[in-house]
Amino acid sequence: MGDTSLLTTILLCPVVGLVLVLLTPARAVQAVRWISALSALAAGVLSVHLWRAYDTVAGGFQFVEIVPWVEQVGISYHLAVDGFSTILVMLNSIVFFTGVLTMWDLETRVKEFFAFMLLLVIGVYGVFLSQDLFFFFLFYELAVVPMYPLILIWGSGNREYAAMKLMLFLLAGSALLFPALLSIYHASGLGTFNMILLAQKAFDPDFQIFVYPFVFLGFGVLAGLFPFHGWSPTGHVAAPSAVSMLHAGVLMKLGAYGVLAVGIRLLPIGAVYWAPTFATLAAIGVVYGAFVAIRQTDFKFVIGFSSVSHMGIVVLGLNLAVLGKAGQDALNGAVFQMFAHGIMTALLFSTVGFIYDRAHSKTIADFGGLGSLMPRAVSVFIVAGLCGAGVPGLASFWAELLVFLAALKTYPIMGVAIIVSLVLTAIYILRVFSLAFFGPVNTKWEGLRELDLKGWQLLPRAILLAVLLFFGFFPRVLLDVIDGTTTGVLAAF
Amino acid sequence: MSNLTLFLPETVCLLGALVLFFAQVFGARYTVVWLLGLLSGVAALVAAVWTWPLAGEPFFPGIYRVDFFSQFVKTVIAAGFVIVAAISGRPHTVRAGAWLELPMFLLLAMTGMMMLASAMELVTLYISMELAAYPVYITVALHRNRDISGESSTKYMLQGMIASAITLYGLSFLFGLTGSTYLSAISSQLGTLATQPLFWLAVLLVLAGFLFKLAAFPFHFWASDTYQTAPHEVITFVATASKVAAIAVLCRIAALVSPAAGDAELITHVLMWMSVAAMTLGNLAALRQGDLKRLLGYSAVAHAGYVLIGIQAMSAMGLTAALFYAMGYAAMSALCFLVVVELGRDEDLVTVDSLAGLHQRSPLLAATLLIGIFGLIGLPPTVGFIGKWFLFSAAIEQGQFVFVLVAAINSAVALYYYLLVIRQAYFAESDNSNPIHTDVVTLAVAGATTGLVIAMGVVPGWFWALSVEAVVALMG
Repeated sequence: MGDTSLLTTILLCPVVGLVLVLLTPARAVQAVRWISALSALAAGVLSVHLWRAYDTVAGGFQFVEIVPWVEQVGISYHLAVDGFSTILVMLNSIVFFTGVLTMWDLETRVKEFFAFMLLLVIGVYGVFLSQDLFFFFLFYELAVVPMYPLILIWGSGNREYAAMKLMLFLLAGSALLFPALLSIYHASGLGTFNMILLAQKAFDPDFQIFVYPFVFLGFGVLAGLFPFHGWSPTGHVAAPSAVSMLHAGVLMKLGAYGVLAVGIRLLPIGAVYWAPTFATLAAIGVVYGAFVAIRQTDFKFVIGFSSVSHMGIVVLGLNLAVLGKAGQDALNGAVFQMFAHGIMTALLFSTVGFIYDRAHSKTIADFGGLGSLMPRAVSVFIVAGLCGAGVPGLASFWAELLVFLAALKTYPIMGVAIIVSLVLTAIYILRVFSLAFFGPVNTKWEGLRELDLKGWQLLPRAILLAVLLFFGFFPRVLLDVIDGTTTGVLAAF
Repeated sequence: MSNLTLFLPETVCLLGALVLFFAQVFGARYTVVWLLGLLSGVAALVAAVWTWPLAGEPFFPGIYRVDFFSQFVKTVIAAGFVIVAAISGRPHTVRAGAWLELPMFLLLAMTGMMMLASAMELVTLYISMELAAYPVYITVALHRNRDISGESSTKYMLQGMIASAITLYGLSFLFGLTGSTYLSAISSQLGTLATQPLFWLAVLLVLAGFLFKLAAFPFHFWASDTYQTAPHEVITFVATASKVAAIAVLCRIAALVSPAAGDAELITHVLMWMSVAAMTLGNLAALRQGDLKRLLGYSAVAHAGYVLIGIQAMSAMGLTAALFYAMGYAAMSALCFLVVVELGRDEDLVTVDSLAGLHQRSPLLAATLLIGIFGLIGLPPTVGFIGKWFLFSAAIEQGQFVFVLVAAINSAVALYYYLLVIRQAYFAESDNSNPIHTDVVTLAVAGATTGLVIAMGVVPGWFWALSVEAVVALMG
């Protein structure tokens, strides 16, 4: 396998996995699990290879593959990665692999579950790898589709409501994207959906200012942008563990990545024009999400609203990036946060899902002293929670630091408000710790003592934990990959 | 001789119908009749494909044109018929005494539809339209439960006749304006005609009959009732082949007047508003339906709206997109109706609730329905996604940003009722856990059609190239 088709090979891993899973009889659940895990592992190994092979000195788009697809209308199968997509592909591989392991114990309709999950993963890889606007959107929609059955069939609680709400919100976002993306194509006059060529085209400023909000809000819905975040916490809560992991860990990043790859790259003037407005919305989301999380009684709702808050930091960073004062820091921080939050939230959901599957309760007040019953699971949760609160030594620290610095430089008052949100984050995280994990042991849960994480169950959590710590201590490894791309993107401003 | 080979697909259909006529006179068994019908369909399909490279006029000059457009459309129509024939192995919802007639009537209707794709003269066009319509009027009324089908089939026929009368009225205007019934004469006088409002009024009136077939607003009133109460197999035919024929004629007329599109503001506006009305009304009405076929009927109204997006653009891109979507839509709705047929063997009416437990009773049918519904929603990897993308692209090309926005929001609204269907099939449990046994022919058709829906969505290049070529033949 040469590097010329590396990206296609990565994309093919889950495709082959999906085909094999579909061909496997539904009774052979163990085979289905192994096929999924192996395709995830293969994709993961290739992602590591991609990370190492990506030339950070040269920067820009690499590993380009172009095959004309529908020539008459300028659609081509066009894959390429820059620094951003390199790390996001890695993120997807990690969450995919650990997600499969997390769901290893699933017993109901196993084949269908992994088939839908693989379909979702194909969509996510496709978005990160595509440099053709049509395929970008196709994969974007493809990633959303399986969420409905995944939440509906294997979810819990108010799943019918949550699944429907999620689909309606996300496809309403797509409704904004349809005319916007097609307008970009027709307005360019280039007759191509090649995003690299479209990015070089200077669109009429009035056109950019008109279309940009459609692109931003269309993708922003999936990024959990306030006030269009309503689908996200309910969706997280109702979804099964691995789906929450993929959903909060990767899927929401697609929204932010869309804003970056289509909005900011193709419509820079529009992005600058709207940045103050959308930065404000994002900042409100950061503070609001944290406030709401404080009052939640359900574990998963706390994490769900923390995602709204943390994704707000990403979107805020993207908007601050185009305003110039501290663009480099803001964009580096935003992309770093996409990665760090993805890993962190995957770890949180993976662990909460584990506790829920054993205790069948997600109500915080129900527990007490859980730390002495399930010390391993709780320790993992605590580390991930502290990461969310921006504790140094964990990956999110650097990401949040960069965005906050940029916010202080660009809008001092907003910057202060954002830093206050950090305190709120600490409050809601510590509240969960104190209510559920410490204090007197609730004797009702004595049975859980036997059911703590053990053996291979530690594996997915250990991987995620290791990644968080590694990038907490060696942020340069990640920043080196994205810094060159950031400079390239910001050259347009 | 070479002239008659141009007429080969239609000849095959007519001969098939003739054979079937005698077969039933001599009291053949239904299995024989069914096989003959299926074979005629396959033969017509092969004949249609075989005539792809041919072009010319089998009869008097100017009346009937065979070119790639017409043969391509005939191929799609024949494919639709083959699907319908294949799943009619036991047409349970058709009245027992009428089984023998069913394939013959559908073959005759198909002949009319094929002729519609080639007709270049007003009287020929009208006769083809009626030939396509009458057999369907009859078969729609063949439901085994007369109480159910009586009202709706009467409604269907009356409204169809009114629409065809309006078309006839429009044709008389065209004849009055040009003194000729040949479309070529209209096209050569287009420069002077285009400035006369009466001409555009006439074109609009002519469209009525075909908008009726397409179930476009304001000719959609039959759709919900007729979809609900016609025999499952018959309505599959109405929802697939018949739609393709209607779209073909709309493309033909749009192509005819498109050189004067600059003066055609009236007609583009009317069509645009019809499209908005059709999709909004169809989608909103479908939200509250408990009957699966009725729901699909309203969904058909909404899809008529989507197709009109391409037609009203009056551009090569728009017509290509409409034709491409026609192909994809026929396949997607065939998938949904295939499930209806299999599920509804013992039921006069198929409700959404009766889908409950389908994933256990027949995982393959559930998956078929899933793909079909995802297609109708417009989700990848099905043709529904890329088909809408092309249609919307044609409208954006004309600068209709808001129109596309409205259409896209409509798709999001439609999501709700489509997802409820999937929810029933995949999530709802039911006491009835009897497996549904599907015969080999139906399975093959389901597999092939599913493959087509996904192939058109993932590797659309070849299908799109065919549509482009067809529209080039149409406009050139």
